[in-house]
Amino acid sequence: MNNVFRLRQTWTIARLQLRRVFFSRRSFWVYLLALFPAVVFLGHGIKMKVDYRMMSSQITPVTLLESITKGTGEEEVIKKTGKPIMDRRFKAGPKRQYMRHMMYFDGERRWNLFFSNGVLQNKRSQQIFNFNADRIAFATMFQTYYLRLAIFFGCLGMFMNLFRGEMMDKTLHFWFLAPARREVLLAGKYLAGIIAAVSIFAAGAVLSFAIMLWPHHTAQVTAYWHDQGLSHLFSYASAAALACIGYGSVFLAFGLVLRNPIIPAVVILFWEYINGILPTLLQKLSVLYYAQSLCPVSVPINNDMPLLIRLLISPANPPSVITAVFGFLIVTALVLLVASQVVRRLEINYNTD
Amino acid sequence: MTVSEIVFNDVSKFYDEVLGVNHVDLKIPPGITSLVGPNGSGKTTIMNLMTGLIHPDRGTITVRDLSSHDPEQLMRITGYATQYDTAPRGITGFDFVSFGLILAGYNKKQVAEMTWNALESIGMTDAAHRKVASYSKGMRQRVRLAQAIAGDPEVLVLDEPLNGLDPLVRAETVALFHEFAARGRHVIISSHVLQEVDVISDQVIFIANGMIVAEGEVRGVREEIHEHPSQFMIRCRDASHVASLLFVQDNITEIKLHDDRMGLLVMTRDRAEFSRALTRISLEGHTIESVVAADANVDALYKYLIGGSE
Repeated sequence: MNNVFRLRQTWTIARLQLRRVFFSRRSFWVYLLALFPAVVFLGHGIKMKVDYRMMSSQITPVTLLESITKGTGEEEVIKKTGKPIMDRRFKAGPKRQYMRHMMYFDGERRWNLFFSNGVLQNKRSQQIFNFNADRIAFATMFQTYYLRLAIFFGCLGMFMNLFRGEMMDKTLHFWFLAPARREVLLAGKYLAGIIAAVSIFAAGAVLSFAIMLWPHHTAQVTAYWHDQGLSHLFSYASAAALACIGYGSVFLAFGLVLRNPIIPAVVILFWEYINGILPTLLQKLSVLYYAQSLCPVSVPINNDMPLLIRLLISPANPPSVITAVFGFLIVTALVLLVASQVVRRLEINYNTD
Repeated sequence: MTVSEIVFNDVSKFYDEVLGVNHVDLKIPPGITSLVGPNGSGKTTIMNLMTGLIHPDRGTITVRDLSSHDPEQLMRITGYATQYDTAPRGITGFDFVSFGLILAGYNKKQVAEMTWNALESIGMTDAAHRKVASYSKGMRQRVRLAQAIAGDPEVLVLDEPLNGLDPLVRAETVALFHEFAARGRHVIISSHVLQEVDVISDQVIFIANGMIVAEGEVRGVREEIHEHPSQFMIRCRDASHVASLLFVQDNITEIKLHDDRMGLLVMTRDRAEFSRALTRISLEGHTIESVVAADANVDALYKYLIGGSE
């Protein structure tokens, strides 16, 4: 038996397994996890487009809006800038003061003017299409939701079921009775899981990224695309793929020894969340440690957050990209090595005679 | 030890605190061997150990000189139709049978040919492209059988293989087992239908409570059981007279006369002495039409060795 033959066996096993991981009812929620950010960004994009179309009907020159200063009266503002797009009166505060909120649009930004007892107290402007804010929102979503939750739980469901699911369905004997080494079986199933997870989650990341870009001005997007956009997209897709490879190996190994997925999920999730405060050596035994280092945009940490929360979401000291990829692959290989030892001793046990 | 044997060497297997099999020593020669024992006696455990689905806690197992820990080699020469009535979700009968052949390295054409041959031999070609999950219990039993025989294995292990088969397919399947055995291969069967075991087996292994109670050819096993008198059915014209002649023998413990007065059921503690006495009676001019051992069958041995009837 040479290695080419074993590679062919691995592919045969993966091919049969692929249908199950892609189209299993158990995998359905994985698609929801992967597509959730795309849905959120789509909603955000549609809202921006609708707002822009609605506000474009009444544009107020920016010079007029900039000339309005705090302390100006309501009537004077209306006289100067005309009727607002939105005008809302209400009472607020402990003394139930009379308040008024007017909104104007200068063609790029919306201006919010807040009056108290007929006098302008606050003036704020905000771009409707804020490209930088959306990019940071995407980076935040990717690092806090996609890597830490979506890929984590998606891989948990997909990879733990590769063997545990077979045991539950009483079908593991079908695979064990194949004329192939157990390590080859493990590799085939892992490959199927990787192909499915990477396809789903990398595609989910690319789709979300594309939808995030979609509502913005073409010129802005084109400039970004030629400057950093393509490399950012590649980095996000690579980080998603590496996270799938890493979490996949870990959950595959756990699926060989544990029946209950909750225990490893809680343990690993906790380990990943405290990674930022662990000693350097232990930080390296983490999927997030490597995957985050591939993320091209760092997430701003709000100083108003409690210290503990900040520590939990703050990334560990990131290694260089090359170190990250190699370190990551070494950790994954070690986990798979342990898993291959376990699978050789694995037995079927469905209450045998 | 010859290469063509299946050898269990002091094998024990426990499921946590529960005994699977204990101190099993077996040397199974080629031919049809039946594993007989009550539910939970360890029949499936022995089959699973033999095929590497589970591993012994103690002892070693070799199948035609291959270790049960080496599925790559072992499953090339072994086909196992398990009792487990499940197949991976979404898999068709054709894929179920062909999967092992592809992994064994056969080319596409060979795989297709061998798969169709196996499916044809158990009458499943029409349903080949349907999902196994949609099959009836009997069809699932047949497709497992097809999978086991598809690679023309040297060792065929079959857990209750005749369950759910209609009489015609059952007869064809038994003929297939005989054909395998005639080619010097191992056919290991577990079955609850003792009459069937009796007809098809070259040797029998009796198991109770995880231990081997007896093994060998049925007649040989019967001869080893001394605590139960051997039973013989004699057909003759003057049954009453023959009975009186036999009854004076010390080895005879009981004689029952048939209602038709043409036959006797004789129980003896010494088969050789009984045989000599019968020869003498025959030479004296009494016509003995036939003598048949009434308890040299699996059903009787089961009762003697294990107790009750399955």
